[in-house]
Amino acid sequence: MSEDILKVVDVTKSFEGVHALVDVRFGVTRGHVKALIGPNGAGKTTLLNVINGLLDPDRGHVYFRGHDVIGMAANEISLLGLSRTFQLIRLFTVNNATVLDNVMVGAHKMLKPTISSALFFRASTARQEKAVREKAMEALAFVGLEEERDTPPGTLSFGNQRLVELARSLMAEPELLLLDEPASGLNDAEVERFIELLAAIRQKGITILLVEHNMKLVMNISDEIVVLDFGKRLAEGDPAAICTDPAVIEAYLGAECGLEGGEG
Amino acid sequence: MKTLGRIWWIILLLFIVLYPPTLGGMSAYKSGIMIFVGIYIILAVSLDLLMGFAGQISVGHAAFFAIGAYVSGILTVKYGASPLVALIAGMALSGAVAWAVGRPLLALKEYYLAMATLALNEIIVTLIIGLQWLTGGASGLRDVPSFSVPGFSFDNHVHYYYLVWAMVLLVVASSLALVRSPFGRTLVAIHSDETAAKTFGIDCAAYKVRVYVFSAMYASLAGSLFAHYMGFLAPDDFGVLTSINILVMLYLGGIGTIWGPALGAVFLKLLPEFTYQFQDYELLLNGVILIVVLVFMPGGLFGILKSVAERVNARGSG
Repeated sequence: MSEDILKVVDVTKSFEGVHALVDVRFGVTRGHVKALIGPNGAGKTTLLNVINGLLDPDRGHVYFRGHDVIGMAANEISLLGLSRTFQLIRLFTVNNATVLDNVMVGAHKMLKPTISSALFFRASTARQEKAVREKAMEALAFVGLEEERDTPPGTLSFGNQRLVELARSLMAEPELLLLDEPASGLNDAEVERFIELLAAIRQKGITILLVEHNMKLVMNISDEIVVLDFGKRLAEGDPAAICTDPAVIEAYLGAECGLEGGEG
Repeated sequence: MKTLGRIWWIILLLFIVLYPPTLGGMSAYKSGIMIFVGIYIILAVSLDLLMGFAGQISVGHAAFFAIGAYVSGILTVKYGASPLVALIAGMALSGAVAWAVGRPLLALKEYYLAMATLALNEIIVTLIIGLQWLTGGASGLRDVPSFSVPGFSFDNHVHYYYLVWAMVLLVVASSLALVRSPFGRTLVAIHSDETAAKTFGIDCAAYKVRVYVFSAMYASLAGSLFAHYMGFLAPDDFGVLTSINILVMLYLGGIGTIWGPALGAVFLKLLPEFTYQFQDYELLLNGVILIVVLVFMPGGLFGILKSVAERVNARGSG
């Protein structure tokens, strides 16, 4: 039950002599929400990029569902059940792509579209496409954006663009969802709503690894937290332990800690 | 919307069918102009799949136009093959070349990709000039026969007009079907952001090669149709200038819309018919038109038509 869906083992990565990650090691338990926090430049996004195959580390291993995914292409790792969102929003915007188009791309692995399916097997393609469209509408309804289905994503508010990214990543039916600063740029009400969404995603049994600076969100939703500082793992533990860890307070948290029903 | 689309298709079809006996006056010259227009529509639409949808620049699309034309020419003239077999062989060779060079070529981006595709075009032209025993070299390949299928020869220009335009309709309809399918949506995702596309399991390199092969085969079809119409092939018709002409059609008509590049091809190929008294200035005129369109109407001719149609619709319902 408490098996690790993701294991990061001694991952090291340098960029032109700068140590972005140094022997980082931690695991994510299936079904949990784990937060990855730390100061800017601590290597959080680099680590996400290593996990989902956009970057190769200099050393170390990443095991996802038991597969060593280092050296695998991002698209192959994705097919194992990994999905993500981006810190700088990366929605598809060319050729008048709509919000619905974006979300439907998330279901790529169910369709695996080919030229012959588009030209010769049109009836079965249309059937699959209809099912994917319905599923995409459900995903949009889940994040509350079904009204915006035909909108070009570039015209949406920042917060709503993040929600489209979230809906798109859920379309792939991931087992592990990587979220890179999903709350940055959101206002307080939007953060509240986002916390509810994450709780609902967790309810579906999807494991979440979350990079985030918003401590209110992190402390509310996480089962465990791992803290990175200058590419090294500084601490790991449950929110209460992290909140009171002197090293973490000095390096990152300062006095502030968003833990609700604070211990006084 | 759907019925409106159907009405446009019917109007288009009627125009194509009725052109030779009415406007064309059954004349070889007037059918011939429209044969050229049709061949260039196929070229422009096939490049639009690669550039307008998958977002991969090519400044060497005429390379596959050349392969189609010369395979048709060589197989029918030197080896007595039937034109239909030669046409299919040309498409197969074009597809094979695109498949072979596609992966390394399309791993490049932007200017580097533009340069590499341009180089491919140059290599093909150089091969045509160099392999004189096979291609006739710089002095050209003569006496390419008319297109024929068992039992029927398209030696009459009006007949050939119908064959070419049947192919145009096939190419346009299949291209529209492709870009409106999940495959087209995948291409747009790759065009927009390859990194994001990969994180959804899209094998970008494989998809780029597939659309490149498909696009090359259509360009090859245009080349074969060209060879049998002209009867004479010279390397000049397949150089980088031709590739750039196709690019101009894309931007003039409205890239990434299928209809736009088709419109661009019609416009650019018919323009000389109306401006023949200024033919010394033809290149200048083309250049000025392109600049005006790019600066003031980035959606191209199709963009203008669309906004006019929307305005008319709005007035109709308002």
